[in-house]
Amino acid sequence: MMLLLMFGTILGVEAQEVVVHPSVSQETISRNTLRAIFGMRLRRWPDGSVVKVFVLRDDAELHKKFSKSILHLFPYQLRRAWDRQVFSGTGQSPQEVISLESMRAKITHTPGAIGYLPIGNTEIGMKILNVR
Amino acid sequence: MSDKFIYGLKLFFVFLCFLIEGVASSIFGAELPDSLQIHGFATQGFILTSDNNFFGKSKDGSFDFTELGVNTSIRPILDMQISAQVISRRAGEGNDRDPQLDYGFLDYSLISNASRKLGIRLGRVKNPLGFYNDTRDVAFTRPSIFLPQSIYFGRTRNLALSSDGLNIYAEYRKGFANLFYELEVGYPKVDDRETELAFLGQKLQTQGGLDERLSYISRFIIEPTGGRIRIALSGALVNIIFEPKTSAVKTGTIRFTPLIFSVQYNTEFWSLSSEYALRYSRYRDVGPLSFNNTGESYYLQGSYRISEQLEAVLRYDVLFQNQDDRSGTKFSAASTTGALAHTRFAKDSTVGLRWDITSAWMSRIEYHYIDGTAWLPLSDNPVASATERYWDLFSILVSFRF
Repeated sequence: MMLLLMFGTILGVEAQEVVVHPSVSQETISRNTLRAIFGMRLRRWPDGSVVKVFVLRDDAELHKKFSKSILHLFPYQLRRAWDRQVFSGTGQSPQEVISLESMRAKITHTPGAIGYLPIGNTEIGMKILNVR
Repeated sequence: MSDKFIYGLKLFFVFLCFLIEGVASSIFGAELPDSLQIHGFATQGFILTSDNNFFGKSKDGSFDFTELGVNTSIRPILDMQISAQVISRRAGEGNDRDPQLDYGFLDYSLISNASRKLGIRLGRVKNPLGFYNDTRDVAFTRPSIFLPQSIYFGRTRNLALSSDGLNIYAEYRKGFANLFYELEVGYPKVDDRETELAFLGQKLQTQGGLDERLSYISRFIIEPTGGRIRIALSGALVNIIFEPKTSAVKTGTIRFTPLIFSVQYNTEFWSLSSEYALRYSRYRDVGPLSFNNTGESYYLQGSYRISEQLEAVLRYDVLFQNQDDRSGTKFSAASTTGALAHTRFAKDSTVGLRWDITSAWMSRIEYHYIDGTAWLPLSDNPVASATERYWDLFSILVSFRF
C-alpha cells in the first residue's frame, strides 16, 4: 500500500517530461544541472554543443507545474533570474513558445534544444531526458 | 574622456541597437540569428508628497519620473556574449533625460560546464552590489516603486551604477549549493553634480570636483537550496580624488568602502528579504575636511503573492548617516549653520501593491511614511533647512516591457 502510494505520488509529480532534440547525447540529467540550464546559466551540453532552451509563457499551467515539480523552483524565481541577466547584460532569456505544438516543433527541429511536454505528448524526433 | 567623446559613444550605441535590429531583419528576413535578443522597458511614475520634494516638485504632484531603456545582446560564438543597454532617466532635478550607456561589454567564458563556470567581462559592466543594484532602473525587477533608499539611495546612484573596466566571474554548482563570485576592477562614475553634492555638500561642491580612481567591487552569493535561500556579501573599495578649482589648494582623497550583507528566503507565496550595510568613508584633505565616518543602513521586507496578478509588499527601511550619531543631534549641535538633525537619518515604512496586468504591463501603487530626510534628493531640495522631518509619500507607476 505504502509502495503504491509512493508510486502514485511520483507519477503525479512527474506528469511532465523533459524533452530534448535527438542530437543531445546524454540520457539522464541531474536536477541541479537542469536548473542551471533553465536558469540560463549553462549554455553548453557536455559534448560542447550549444543548449537552446524553450519554455511556455510564465502563466501556462504546464510551465508552472514543470517549474515546481521538476525544477523544484517557483516560476517567479525563474522569471527573476532571467530578468536579472537580460537587464544586466550577463545572460539571455529562453525562447518562449506559444503552444505545445510549437514546443514540439522547436524540440524536433532545433539541434541542442531542450523543453518540456506533458507525459504522452512526446513523439518521434525527440528524446526524453531522465531527471536524476 | 571628453564629454563630446562620451556623448558620441552613447549615440553610437543607440545607433548600434537600431542598426543591429534593422540590418539583421533586412539581411536575414524572418531568420534573425537566433542568438540576437532585444529587450526594453518604459516606466512612468507619479509622486505626491506631503512635504519635501522627491523626484520633481512632488508636493504639487510630480510626473517627473520616467525610465526608458533598450538593450541588445548577441552570442557570435558559443562562449561569447556582447551586450549593451542604453537608459534615459528623468527623476527630478538630479537626472536629466540624456541617454546613458548603462552597460556595454564583451563577455567570454573560459570554462563552462555543469559544475563550474569562469569568465571575464570587458567594458562597462554593472556594479555587482546587493540584490537589486544590477537592474535598479528596471521597474519589473524592483520589489517596490522605489528600491529601499537606505541602501539604494539616489544621491550616489551614478557611482553605484556601473564601472568601466573588467569583471571576473566564477560559478560553482554542487548538490548542496550554488556559489557565484564576481570581482570588478575599474572606474565607477563620480563626476556628476548629484554625486558631488552627496560627497562634498553644497559649499565644497562649488570649490572643486571629484574624479574617480581605480576601484574594486566584489560580490559573493550562495544559494544553498536552488534559490529558496539566497545569501550575498558584497563590498567595494571606491577611490575618489577631490580636485580643487584653485591650484593653491592641494588635492584631496576620499575612500568609500560600503559593505552589504543580503539575505532572502523564498516560498511559493512569500519572499522575505533583508539587507544590512555599513558604509565607511575616509576623507583626507578634501578642502578643509579630513575625517572618518561610518554610515549604517538596513531594511526588512516581506512580499506576499496574493494571486498571480497581485503582490503586496511591506517594508521597514532605515538609514543613519553616522553610526555614532544616529539621531543627528551631535551633528546639529556642532553645526555653525543650523543644520537640522533630521537630515542625518531616515526611517521609511512602506506598504505597496503590484498588479501584473499582463506579462508585458505592470502597475504599482505605494505609500511611505518617513521620519527623516537623509536620502532626500539634494537637487530637488536645495534648501536643507526648509525640509520637514515627518513626511508622507504616495506613488503610482506604470511599466511596460518587451
